[in-house]
Amino acid sequence: MTGYADFLLLAVLALDLYVVYSSRLAACVRASALQGAALALLPVVHYLETPSANLVHVLVMAASALAFKAIFIPRLLMRALRDAGVRRDVEPFVSLHLSVLLAGVLVGISFWLATVLALPAAGTTHLFVPTSFATFLIGFLVLVSRRKAITQVIGYLLIENGAYIFGQSLAAQMPFVVELGLLLDLLVGVFVMGIVIHQINREFDHIDVDQLNLLKG
Amino acid sequence: MGQPALLLIVVLALPAAGAGLCLLLRSARAVLAVLTAGVLATGLVSACLAAAVFGTGPLNALGGWLFLDALSAYHLVLLALVFVLSTVFAGQYFRHSPQALDRRSARRFGALWFGSLAAMTLVLVSNHLGLMWVGIESTTLVTTFLIGVHRSRESLEATWKYLVICSVGIAIAFMGTLLVGASATRTLPVPSDAMLWTRLREVAPLLDPAPLKIGFLFILVGYGTKVGLAPMHTWLPDAHSQAPAPVSAIFSGVMLNTALYCIMRYIPVVEAATGRTGWALGLVALFGIVSMLVAAAFILFQRDVKRLLAYHSVEHLGIIAVGLGLGGLGTFAAMFHTLNHSVCKSLGFFCAGRLGQIYDTHDMRRMPGTLRASPLWGSGLLLSLLALIGVVPFAVFMSELQIVKAAMDAHAIALLVTFLAAAGIVFIGAFGHATSIAWGTPPEEARPQPAGPVDALLVVFPLALLLLLGLWMPQPLRDVFEQAARVVRPVP
Repeated sequence: MTGYADFLLLAVLALDLYVVYSSRLAACVRASALQGAALALLPVVHYLETPSANLVHVLVMAASALAFKAIFIPRLLMRALRDAGVRRDVEPFVSLHLSVLLAGVLVGISFWLATVLALPAAGTTHLFVPTSFATFLIGFLVLVSRRKAITQVIGYLLIENGAYIFGQSLAAQMPFVVELGLLLDLLVGVFVMGIVIHQINREFDHIDVDQLNLLKG
Repeated sequence: MGQPALLLIVVLALPAAGAGLCLLLRSARAVLAVLTAGVLATGLVSACLAAAVFGTGPLNALGGWLFLDALSAYHLVLLALVFVLSTVFAGQYFRHSPQALDRRSARRFGALWFGSLAAMTLVLVSNHLGLMWVGIESTTLVTTFLIGVHRSRESLEATWKYLVICSVGIAIAFMGTLLVGASATRTLPVPSDAMLWTRLREVAPLLDPAPLKIGFLFILVGYGTKVGLAPMHTWLPDAHSQAPAPVSAIFSGVMLNTALYCIMRYIPVVEAATGRTGWALGLVALFGIVSMLVAAAFILFQRDVKRLLAYHSVEHLGIIAVGLGLGGLGTFAAMFHTLNHSVCKSLGFFCAGRLGQIYDTHDMRRMPGTLRASPLWGSGLLLSLLALIGVVPFAVFMSELQIVKAAMDAHAIALLVTFLAAAGIVFIGAFGHATSIAWGTPPEEARPQPAGPVDALLVVFPLALLLLLGLWMPQPLRDVFEQAARVVRPVP
């Protein structure tokens, strides 16, 4: 069973880049759902390669990650997209080509950071830490470079996914309750964002964050 | 598990139960009554817990997951104090139009108010760093909807900024928490102990410094976002100015401090692990001084009285951070200043909120003559602003003086000069604002409202406390500050 964790993590990285390059919002949401599914498999694969953690713990984690990250949150976002009637995030603050370039730089930084930190390797793969940092940083990039509120939520999801991957590499330290609390917080967080987006859309008739500029100074 | 330890669970369960109860009530009046009773009860339990901690030492419950020492007990009492005052004030504030609550929004307000009390209590009583993080994250989620109790375009904008910026900040703090946990993997035999603060503190000198340092940077930036340290403060003036006044009071009076409390927990661990070189302290002081400078610039040209108070929060949390960063007497002064700021800022928001209802605006250019329009709230705002900028003999002056002395003791000349310059700019700016709205003739459309004995108490009590502590500090209180400071202060 070696190599599957590597494969999953590379897929996560590829999906990060896809989100950066795509201006179609529905495609971004689908990519995040796919990434969520990959992340749900991650603890299982990790367990099969190095059975250190408790199997029940691993299965519950995988199931809840699948339910939240791959199904529930993407559906929530799809509904928000439909309600707001937006399809594309046109004219991002940073052009898509430049974004991809920046994302490449961020991936490089992540690998460098992982070498500097020299954390104990989790199981058989060395990709855990760099992928986690890369996803985290690319989430930031998406968050600050786009115009629509929904894309900001997707950026936030990437940031959370980065933290989740990092948490997986340290599964032994993370008690079950805290890990579940984290997932639940993420779910509620995105849910709350969805409600606020809904309210913004009703009040302003758009969800362009750069036009939220009444408050200054 | 002894009785005090059991109270540790009660103090969490009480507000959580109150939140559920509020959703079932039939009238806005009943919600406010339950709120007052529930918050008072929680406050009493907190006081008992603090008495136990300061009398006999730290408490433990739930296998070491819950923990209360001098630092958290002190913050718990502060939380109770500000919440009691703000709840009483909320009862007065929501009685007046246009902020009167209907049944549905009253229920929601009550549940969220209790919920935020429960979340902040969770932060303070958890020994597990992950659980503490869950507490802070819950605080954000619960308080989000408190900003928009009265829905408007401006409050929605403020809500969105608050939610996104703080969520991201807290995600960064989570990375930091994990990195700190990772630094202990080689040291602690039982891996699940790696996130218990008490265990980390014991083995601090053996931790792996590289991940710990990066982790602390993440913690500082992440929780610092929630504290409102510059340059991550951008959500703060919007949220504070758009939220209803009682909510602004708890935001500024305790929520920011609760986030800073999380940073405080990490300081001694990181200092011990990096060989007591002052690396962590220097960073904290740097963020503090930058916050003071940024706030000073915005205070000078401020037009909105609630935004003015919000920038004062950025400034004062910056001052507390500078105190923490100096160590020694500075840590003591930071504890003292925390109390002063919380009391004074709650008073400021109470007065600004009620004056806002009287004038129907928060624009300081359109609210002259506050002393004549409402002698009580007008003088309260004037005096709280004067106290905030450090006028003698209020307590804020004393704690700032101690920080100045700590800076001189540490020979931190550049820091001292910048500190004095920023405080000077704030003094000039805010003094001008305070006097310009106090005197003059109120406009015709101002609707003076009679102030009752409860209103008077809400103004007189905080002012009397600030005045008393400025002139004389009782020995038991000094011991409380000293014991709390000893938890944070790296042992030389």
